[in-house]
Amino acid sequence: MIRRALAFAVLWSICTQGEMSSWVIGGPTVGAATLASVVLLPQRVWHWRLRGLVRFVPYFLVRSVLGSVDVARRALHPRLPLAPLLVEYPLRLQDDLARVFLVNTVSLLPGTLSAELHAEHLTVHALDGGVAGVSAELEVLEKLVAALFGTPLVDSFVKTEAARA
Amino acid sequence: MHEWYGGLASFLLLNVVVGLLRVLRGPTPADRMLAAQLFGTTGVATLLLLAPTFGPALNDIALVFALLAAVTVIAFVRRSWFPVNWEGKGSHDGD
Amino acid sequence: MTVTEWCSLALTTAGAFFFFAGTVGVLRFPDVYTRLHALTKADGLGLGLIVLGLIVRTQGWTEVCQLALIWILVMVSSATACHLVARAALGTGVRLWRRPG
Repeated sequence: MIRRALAFAVLWSICTQGEMSSWVIGGPTVGAATLASVVLLPQRVWHWRLRGLVRFVPYFLVRSVLGSVDVARRALHPRLPLAPLLVEYPLRLQDDLARVFLVNTVSLLPGTLSAELHAEHLTVHALDGGVAGVSAELEVLEKLVAALFGTPLVDSFVKTEAARA
Repeated sequence: MHEWYGGLASFLLLNVVVGLLRVLRGPTPADRMLAAQLFGTTGVATLLLLAPTFGPALNDIALVFALLAAVTVIAFVRRSWFPVNWEGKGSHDGD
Repeated sequence: MTVTEWCSLALTTAGAFFFFAGTVGVLRFPDVYTRLHALTKADGLGLGLIVLGLIVRTQGWTEVCQLALIWILVMVSSATACHLVARAALGTGVRLWRRPG
């Protein structure tokens, strides 16, 4: 709780560029934000593995720039090169927070957009690339997110087999 | 330099005006909401570009814009247009 | 003009170009899902480049932090909003466009 309050306080001082007089409003706001976050997400705070972060950030930055360039190219191309499809991607990531994080990053990567998160799979809308291409890209991303959050990947095929036995 | 930023800001405003065509055409509510999101991001960029000329207070307004645009879209999707829970079924009863 | 000013000029102009591409996509793309792609990605990078272009000319680090925070907030919120709109479109049965023929 103290860690969360501290994080919100840092956020506030960035927002206000360290203006001391703003703390009249900032103090109560930080308190309210801390309370809201403890009520809404009581279990634990978000923590990332440093090694995962070092691998994830460059990948994400490069890929998301490529994604924007790709979509700009398609938009400006006279023939509008699109071959949209929906891909049902079986999730191996189990952790809730990590899944939400994956959902958001997928939308920023080239040609993919998270449409729906189900219990066992993620529905992704893609501009192009076919099922195999899109799944391969998602697999790489899923591995990086798992390393970032330090959570294991569980094969859903193995899991359903185990449930049947 | 400031003139150039101002010129880019006007260009972005023009973009928003053209984007209004999507709001008029729709056809689905989602298309209209999408244009609202476009205004949010473009509005933030416009304000940031005008800040060197008109003062850093515009940065603060951009910050508020950034937060409000998100709240608008989320409130619209969750409350008025597609009010179902995360499991994708069941009705929404004013939580 | 100094080197930093040229950098700032190039970056902000490139940013405006991506906003332009995003708007073109929103108008030209055939369905709501493809339009979401255009909006989220092109505008995200557009804003990123404009923020970067303004960061190179700022003096104080507090403003750098503030500008970076604005960009991060917009990216996080637009990714979330984009997912929610796509999900709602799928849920209400908005059809996916496929190339005819």
